[in-house]
Amino acid sequence: MESFMLLMDGFTVALQPMNLLWVTIGGVLGTIIGMLPGLGPATGVAVLLPLTFTMGPVAALITMAGVYYGAMFGGSRASILLNTPGDGAAVAATFDGYPMARQGRAEAALAISAIASFIGGTVATIVMVFVSVPVARFAIKFGAAEYFQLYVFALAATASLTKGNRIKGFISMIIGLMIATIGIDPQSGIKRFTFGLLELQSGIDFLVVIIAVFALGEVFKSFQNITEGKLNIQKKFGKIWISREEWKRCVWPIIRSTPIGFFVGALPGAGGTMASLIAYNNERQLSKHPEEFGNGAIEGLAAPEAANNASSVGAMIPMLTLGIPGSGTTAVMMGALMILGLKPGPLLFQQQPEIVWGLIASMFIGNIILAVVNIPMAGGLVRILAVPPKILYPIILGLSFVGAYAISFSVMDFYFLLAFGVLGYIMEKAKIPSSPLILAVIVGNSMEQSFRRAFVISDGTLGIFFKSPICIIFFALTVISIGYPLLKSALVKLKERSR
Amino acid sequence: MKKIAKMMLMLLVFAVCVGASGMLFASGQDEQSAVVDYPKGNLDFVAPAGAGGGWDLTIRTVAKALKDTGLVKVPMPVRNNPGAGGAVHLASLQELKGEARTITVYSPPLILTKLAGTTQLGYENVTPLARLIADYACFVVSAKSPYNTMADVMNALKKNIKSVKIGGISSAGSMDHIQFLIMAKAAGVKNLNQIDYVSFDDSAVAMVLGGHIDLFSTGLSEVATLIESGDLKALGQTASHRVGTGVIAQIPTCQEQGINATFENWRGLFGPPEMPTYAVDYWRETLKKLVATPEWAKAKETNGWDDAYMDAPDFLKFLVKVNQDYSEILREIGMLK
Repeated sequence: MESFMLLMDGFTVALQPMNLLWVTIGGVLGTIIGMLPGLGPATGVAVLLPLTFTMGPVAALITMAGVYYGAMFGGSRASILLNTPGDGAAVAATFDGYPMARQGRAEAALAISAIASFIGGTVATIVMVFVSVPVARFAIKFGAAEYFQLYVFALAATASLTKGNRIKGFISMIIGLMIATIGIDPQSGIKRFTFGLLELQSGIDFLVVIIAVFALGEVFKSFQNITEGKLNIQKKFGKIWISREEWKRCVWPIIRSTPIGFFVGALPGAGGTMASLIAYNNERQLSKHPEEFGNGAIEGLAAPEAANNASSVGAMIPMLTLGIPGSGTTAVMMGALMILGLKPGPLLFQQQPEIVWGLIASMFIGNIILAVVNIPMAGGLVRILAVPPKILYPIILGLSFVGAYAISFSVMDFYFLLAFGVLGYIMEKAKIPSSPLILAVIVGNSMEQSFRRAFVISDGTLGIFFKSPICIIFFALTVISIGYPLLKSALVKLKERSR
Repeated sequence: MKKIAKMMLMLLVFAVCVGASGMLFASGQDEQSAVVDYPKGNLDFVAPAGAGGGWDLTIRTVAKALKDTGLVKVPMPVRNNPGAGGAVHLASLQELKGEARTITVYSPPLILTKLAGTTQLGYENVTPLARLIADYACFVVSAKSPYNTMADVMNALKKNIKSVKIGGISSAGSMDHIQFLIMAKAAGVKNLNQIDYVSFDDSAVAMVLGGHIDLFSTGLSEVATLIESGDLKALGQTASHRVGTGVIAQIPTCQEQGINATFENWRGLFGPPEMPTYAVDYWRETLKKLVATPEWAKAKETNGWDDAYMDAPDFLKFLVKVNQDYSEILREIGMLK
């Protein structure tokens, strides 16, 4: 009840006209930034930094948070329409969102993405009001071994994502894991596969690989289709909304994915990418018709969309309750708050409740505003599909280069972008799926590092990986997510044979 | 065949575009010819790491204070040039030789990255302008930890070198690792290279809170709020004197506990190599004025920074000395390149 009273106080802060303006600006800006390849929420918040110095702490926090979840709304737009995810958290939206758009169902895809984002964000904020402190206390139970099991579980999703040839999926994953080993190894300080290049010492940013394989890969692929005159463009557009039937299919996936996203987001260092992938995989396994996943199943889009918005809410928890940045974006936010003289930490809730509750209240308002803004905006965006490819694809290409440069302002990234773009094209030609590669690049380094950390902490014994209940649960989930599809297909074969 | 040729042509066009844009960025830095009229136009403030880190916080705070006090009237946009622990920016500074607009912040990693072999470039390849502040190392354990003093930890290590797992944010051989080893060495712990150090990313604080590592080697300002709330126990800090206020001022120094060593995470401003004298003089003068202002005092207080102002000539001498200190430790653990 006390939380509720404080929340009401928070609303009086958040509803002040200036704060309403800031949350709208932040949210819309975030949506736009999220749509551009390579520009994710962390870049968006960093761009805003100089502006926030002129604001009060509440307005600064509200605006930056708006950019964060705004980017989660926007991130999937390009995934759905152009198969070019704006950042890691939007990768899962390409799996079913893009096939939907190809089938002429872009309107429904955009609508469900906004609706799922809204529900995910709002429900997660309600949960945050009541359980933020216990969740933060539970999240610190995750040690290196627990993280390792979590990453393995997330990577096991790649196994299930591979349609058809499992060996090819495996090859793709191995290439991804290899890319992830590039750079200085933090545990030993030794340089691995850097070839004397300074730019390779911090490794290859997974965003470069994502933009290359998806955006450039898409351009290369379409280039061929343009010259062959195969590519058709959509001329007629319907209303941005979904049918009752589609809504029914999405309700439960959204409800199930929200807590997953919220909790994974609250784990320092996990984040939106992992949250959306786990949610996607989860739905695919629970589905009665898993064969539709990857071919335009609407719930395959709703689940990750709800999860990544919920995760952006969850990521605020370690920052607000413990003063630990839960993600790259909250790290930048914390830096900004410190310059403004605010100290995020366990005492923030007690010492400056108006700031924390003002932020939480603004997240309710922001989610509503974004849902209202996004549906009409999608009505305009969907017309991208009417743009002739000869004009559209050069623009995507240009944006890809801008996005890659914005990651670390390094010209070297252009070369990596091109190289991986060509790699993506070759893989496409060889029918090697690209998703396992992407996922391996994203989790590979963290997975390896947490394994090594746990190994040092346990003095080189493997027992640590099965010591805690959390470890065992994730291990069991991994076994199920790999074993269940195998078992199912084996059973089907058995039945056919007995006939 | 024709298709492939077309494809190759397209790739070639990209490559040319990329090359051209690279040249554009390089030549975009206009040459400073006006000697008297400095600073003129935009200055270029750079954090050699991503947004949100210590360097970023420092340079943005300096820029803000310079603007608020009116000491510098021209715009000072801050940009980030991250990579390889600051070494990427160090390399790009070499291309700005003799240039006057670019101001950068660095701290101990400037020296450590070279010693550990990450880069060939070091403090000799930049122009020191002034040392501004110091943050100190702080060693914290979870509230439930059996360790209560630095001596407890050191004794445990002497008994069994593997018994205390040290965690930090930076990679092995970098600051969080070295600052603990300096203390361990002074406390008489042998076989420093066998002490287990685990490098975490930002999640290291969560690891010590959850009891997954025994001791977290970090900066005082990074964990101040958690010490205040009682979630973490601070065993010692590495300044030569007590710093801060309140709970922070109650943390004993390592020297008080009989460990005769200090470690400071100094932060100073640097210009590109061979920065023109007029610019160096301007910054020495300006920064000297800055550290005397109330705005700067306020900024130091909010961030928990200690005053460590040192003018350029003394700063250079200081750099030579710490270079010596750090290389001894790195030699001992076999990481000196």
